[in-house]
Amino acid sequence: MAEGVNFEELVARYYEPLYQFAFSLARDESDACDLTQQTFCIWAAKGHQLRDTSKVKTWLFTTLHREFLGSRRRQTRFPHVDLEQAEPELPVVSPAEISRHDTAHVLATLARLDEVYQAPVALFYLQDCSYNEIAEILQVPLGTVKSRLSRGIGRLQELLGGDATPPRAEPTHL
Amino acid sequence: MNANEAKTILLLYRPGTADAEDPQIAEALALAKREPELAHWLEEHCARQAMLRAIFGQITAPAGLKEQIISEQAAQAMTISRQRRNTIFASLAAAAAVVTLLIVFSSSWLPHRQSDDNTLAVYQNQMAGIALRGYAMDLATNDPAQIRDYLARNKAPSDYALPEALQKAATTGCAVEGWQNVKVSMICFRTGKPLPPNQSNDMWLFVTDRASLKDAPENGQHRFATLKGLVTAVWTQDGKVYLLGTEGDESTIRKFL
Repeated sequence: MAEGVNFEELVARYYEPLYQFAFSLARDESDACDLTQQTFCIWAAKGHQLRDTSKVKTWLFTTLHREFLGSRRRQTRFPHVDLEQAEPELPVVSPAEISRHDTAHVLATLARLDEVYQAPVALFYLQDCSYNEIAEILQVPLGTVKSRLSRGIGRLQELLGGDATPPRAEPTHL
Repeated sequence: MNANEAKTILLLYRPGTADAEDPQIAEALALAKREPELAHWLEEHCARQAMLRAIFGQITAPAGLKEQIISEQAAQAMTISRQRRNTIFASLAAAAAVVTLLIVFSSSWLPHRQSDDNTLAVYQNQMAGIALRGYAMDLATNDPAQIRDYLARNKAPSDYALPEALQKAATTGCAVEGWQNVKVSMICFRTGKPLPPNQSNDMWLFVTDRASLKDAPENGQHRFATLKGLVTAVWTQDGKVYLLGTEGDESTIRKFL
């Protein structure tokens, strides 16, 4: 384990934000607990390889995200549905009604976004992560993060009934 | 930059964060100060952002998750430690005589194991595992006196003090378990809720000597945790540590304390 990092202190500091991130992706308490626990389990086994202790937070979030993607790949019971295909089912809600949405509804709406937008948007709203941190966690270039955030947030607010600016077409290099 | 471009950029703006330091966002914010329509849009957008952040912020981890992570890790570390020791042990077995191995085993391995593993987290984890993964009751009876008598005859803690509510719960039997070379009394109960045909009890009390744990709670304190789907309460009284576990949540177990 990285020197100077106490496991219990690490858990106490990050289990809640990691769980929030996991839940926003998995939308299931049990899966979110498993992802959080698995992340710390991997830390216990491999954390010593991290030399820069200032990167612990991004390391943990990156690991959790990878685990989530890995678990999604193993699952076949959640077929992918393109937003365009799901368009007729999208909720029609006025902007003022955003405040009436509960977490479950917002997360269900988040899940309707393309997978590449879900994690950046969740990190954006949950952790107040800077754009650079989100880029580090997701291991994509800063420009890609901004593009995905812009498109993801725009789409999320659109689905929730906000009058956000219609998202730009994402650059083809993403 | 026109107003539409500014809106696209400001989608990424979160008031109260360092986002405003981004040059593009700073430029878009400056434009919003000059253009009332954009300013109005920005005001509504910020309100939406704040609401969404609040909604995301409502996600809370289940009670006991932190303790479960720490406990599981402690148990895993113990297993790895044991596996490593077993490997060393096997190498020694190939190279030395049985008598020598016994001396090594009794003089160094056991005391070392005891000093490393005697934390409450490991104890909780092991006892929860016993309760959940199956066990054989040494004595099946609903007579509390017979249970105490059996435990006393087997030199396990028998002079335990049960909370008033737990005294009213139906006992179903007991077993003697081991922990750090110290005996642990396991008393089995039924909470009264319907059980599957092959299950005779759904609540377990483990009692052991306070000295076998280096971090047992102080007298009068109750510590709650969720382990492997069991909610547990631990407390210390008169030199003994009590660990009560059942399925449910903290409110379930509090009814018996």
